[in-house]
Amino acid sequence: MLASARAVPVDLADRDLARRVAAALQASVLPSVVARGGEIRVLGIDNGTVILEMTGSPGAALPLRARIEALIRHAVPEVAAVRMVGPGAEPPAGGAAGDFEDLVRTVLDREVNPVIAAHRGHASLVAVEEGWVRLRLEGGCQGCSLAEVTLRQGIEPMLRARVPGIVGLVDVTDHQAGREPFYSAAKR
Amino acid sequence: MIDVKGRRVLLLVPPVTYRATDFVTAANRLELDVVIGSDGALPLGGKPVVPIDAADPGGSVRRLLATVGRVDAVVGVDAQMLPLAARLAGELGLAHNSVDAVIAAADKAIQRHLWAEAGVAQPRFHIMAADAGEPHLIEAARALGFPCIAKPVSLSASRGVLRVDDDAGLLAAVREIRAILAQTSGGDQEPVLLEEYVPGWEVSIDGLLTDGSLAVTAVFDKPDTPEGPTFEETLLVTPSRLPESTLALATDLAERAARTLGLHHGPIHAELRLDGRAGQARPIMLELAARSIGGLCSRSLRFLGDMSLEMTILLNALGGTVVASPPPGAAGVLMLPVERDGVLESVGGREEALAVPGITGLSITIPMGEKVRPLPWGDRYLGFLFAEGSEAVEVEESLRAARQRLRPLII
Repeated sequence: MLASARAVPVDLADRDLARRVAAALQASVLPSVVARGGEIRVLGIDNGTVILEMTGSPGAALPLRARIEALIRHAVPEVAAVRMVGPGAEPPAGGAAGDFEDLVRTVLDREVNPVIAAHRGHASLVAVEEGWVRLRLEGGCQGCSLAEVTLRQGIEPMLRARVPGIVGLVDVTDHQAGREPFYSAAKR
Repeated sequence: MIDVKGRRVLLLVPPVTYRATDFVTAANRLELDVVIGSDGALPLGGKPVVPIDAADPGGSVRRLLATVGRVDAVVGVDAQMLPLAARLAGELGLAHNSVDAVIAAADKAIQRHLWAEAGVAQPRFHIMAADAGEPHLIEAARALGFPCIAKPVSLSASRGVLRVDDDAGLLAAVREIRAILAQTSGGDQEPVLLEEYVPGWEVSIDGLLTDGSLAVTAVFDKPDTPEGPTFEETLLVTPSRLPESTLALATDLAERAARTLGLHHGPIHAELRLDGRAGQARPIMLELAARSIGGLCSRSLRFLGDMSLEMTILLNALGGTVVASPPPGAAGVLMLPVERDGVLESVGGREEALAVPGITGLSITIPMGEKVRPLPWGDRYLGFLFAEGSEAVEVEESLRAARQRLRPLII
């Protein structure tokens, strides 16, 4: 029932390869990506390398990159490599990666965590990769039904305002494993 | 799809909801300028997060009007925010349902009365006042005939809904419903609805109203239509396998039922049964809510143009004509019921369930270590299983097979 991962290859062999890759995506990770507000599609095939285009919500597909590549290579053995492209996929301009990471950590430690601690919450920096900030929410934020609101309306704009070059924020939290969410979803 | 990038939408978000993430995600995908109003204390508001109180609609509206400024749409993310959303949209001159209409849609007694006046097909019923004595209750139930259904008028998700088979069962059910109401909403003085039990196949219809005209977004069959004593909604599969002629009758009835309540804009979720007692599948209305399908069930739906159900709702709220065409194939969701009282210790078998062909996702939504209660008391599901396939029957089989592999441990 998901939107097709459209193939735009240039020759017939590649077209078949792209069709199989699209089918593999639809049967595996695409629901997760779409549910997180993103989209991926097969942009083309280049000497056995599948080029996937990421669109939609920042961070929807990136955390799944390793899984996506493994799934595609398992489902379509002819694929030699997977490359993901998309708007803003380039690393931030200027500054060393270490500086960038330090700045993100500083904002989290000084401005974000003291505030969300009021809800027993905590945001940990997992990694910075090509401008993408990967965060793990913990404590009261893990599994909270308003975590997405806090992330997208609170943490993300705060980080964007303080740290130039951020491409997007990726929530790598295993929310299902949260044991003490501040708000727990229910049907009222 | 109309271009809505940058348009300003106010989402009214209750804290205890399954729906916040999907609406925020949808708004981000549409690149809307989102403002959040919530009665949940939010610790961090880098962008506007306006504190509101659903119990103080006047104060909340004044605060929102003073804080938010111009918005292009107001959307209540879940049922408890709908009256406030309606009032605010009215103040702002936006297309909206009346407050009375959304309140009517949330009150089964008002629904039943309005539908009865308009001749909308529904079960025969009696509304029993909170102080109704036992003889009066028994008289009413006997007039309907056993088995019949007893339910609170204000709760949703099958909470407090009980099938009763005799006088003793009726009195026990009413006592239990009043205890549930006393604990959940403090409303032990609210009436209890008694209605005839209608055997038959159940469907739910989701759709979007524009000027009172209904565009259906999904019709779910409920292959495990519950028969009582409690009414867990478990398995939902779309598209429906019912004949087109039956679906057309059901859709027309849902649209008429919505208009009868005074609903003209936004999402609806209607539940109907096909009354087979007269030798034909005659649709009758069970309930209708001025919101989209609950829980995480909307995640089973995708529409051409890569749209989620929440995206269609936001587009509809912004005045767009939404053509929500599902792609070929079938999809379904299985809500995992809480089967006993206790503390949820673990849910085993997740990987095995996810490995079932056709299964596309599993979300366990209750934290381990939390107390859980089954219906008629509970208000939560353990989680949600999702499946897709080329045919509805295939999806149904996948969901059943995956459920068998899950091992929730409640002690």
